[in-house]
Amino acid sequence: MNIFRALVIGCGLLSVSLVSPGADIPAARLIVKPLLCVIDRDAGRCSMTFRIRWKSEAAAEYCLNDSALNTPLRCWPSTVSGTHEQHREVNEAFTYWLGAPNGTQRAAEAKIDVLRLDSQDRRRDRRARHVWDVL
Amino acid sequence: MLRFIMRMTGNVLKILALGGLASLAHAQGSAPGTAPTSNAVPAAAPALASPPARERSWRLGAAFGYGERTNPLIQSDDIPVIVDVDIAWFGKRWFFDNGDVGYTLFDRPSSTTSLVARVNDDRVFFGKTNTRYVNFAYSGNGMTTALPPAAGGGGNSPGAPPGVGSQEQALPVAVNPPDRDYAIEAGVESLIDGDWGSAELRAFHDVSGTHGGYELSAHYSRRWTAGRLSIAPTLGVSYKSAQMNDYYWGVHAHEASGALPEYHAGAGINLEGGLVTNYYLTRHLRFALSVNYERLADEIAASPLAEDDYVMAYFSGFAWTF
Repeated sequence: MNIFRALVIGCGLLSVSLVSPGADIPAARLIVKPLLCVIDRDAGRCSMTFRIRWKSEAAAEYCLNDSALNTPLRCWPSTVSGTHEQHREVNEAFTYWLGAPNGTQRAAEAKIDVLRLDSQDRRRDRRARHVWDVL
Repeated sequence: MLRFIMRMTGNVLKILALGGLASLAHAQGSAPGTAPTSNAVPAAAPALASPPARERSWRLGAAFGYGERTNPLIQSDDIPVIVDVDIAWFGKRWFFDNGDVGYTLFDRPSSTTSLVARVNDDRVFFGKTNTRYVNFAYSGNGMTTALPPAAGGGGNSPGAPPGVGSQEQALPVAVNPPDRDYAIEAGVESLIDGDWGSAELRAFHDVSGTHGGYELSAHYSRRWTAGRLSIAPTLGVSYKSAQMNDYYWGVHAHEASGALPEYHAGAGINLEGGLVTNYYLTRHLRFALSVNYERLADEIAASPLAEDDYVMAYFSGFAWTF
């Protein structure tokens, strides 16, 4: 019985510790387009314009951050939604994330992936000998 | 053997094996996965820009869709393509690429040369054959008369009932395309690339004693990428020796019949053109469309075993790379 009680209390404490970091900033939904940069031999980077939208159920101060930068791209006063557009050159994966001003806690994030078609090992580009090898 | 046409039972096993290998590759690899959006993630320090992930040794993937490869062999079915499984491993010297095993001799800035062992793919046409029954008859002066099949030929076919060839009745004779074996071939392969595109030069010889012939081939390809779309046309030419062509496409003396006259195929050149298009939906998923046309050498096309002088193939579907 004591063990059962300890387990219940332990689980309760664990759930509090997992939830508590999110208590000071409301969760939000972040939508970024596009999410993929495809790089081939003839272009070392993607030139992309990102359309960023976010929406929250509760008004709060939010800042949009870029994982490659130390300062926020843009901050909004107490509000429930926002949009932003950014043009940038991309050659490696990074993350847009939404958080409180001067905070590291993330209310939402979206990862921009980079797919490199050109391999340094040209054997990976061996021609398939059968036409059904489409990969 | 991994690339031969997928029968459903084989596919299930392949997919299971693929799943196991995929988890292995993920455990081994360091590339990050895709996470388009998420809500209320736990706190974490902003990730700093990291160097490009090192390529994994394993390459695993599967494509699901529909395609077909025509079969130039008489009395045979076209080859459906429903699933394509891609399993490859690349080490510093050794590699395995969907049935091909290679050892890299030279890896230079503009070329890579390897010794490769592979399974010949002409045999794949002989895997989907049917038996057909034919009648031999002579028509003239308004009359049709049954003819006997050639001695030692169709009359000896299994399925030809007694009395075949009699003047009284024209019973059908079973005609089966002959069996052919897979051949193991070994040779040299050079991959060359530059701003102009990429070329592949290959020379292979049978080492299994199956056909005793050889094949020389050259292919050129150039890939263009615009946004998420990539298009890669390919042109190729391959020379196949007389021994090789004759083994697969000749009608040997013991196989000849009234329906299949004896034929000896000589050396010849096959020409090929193709297009592979991919539209990348995510880092791992893409829509793939491929078309390929191969014009068979005259020596093959003239064979009684060849119904067509070309092989046309296409596939369209979704491909996942782990």
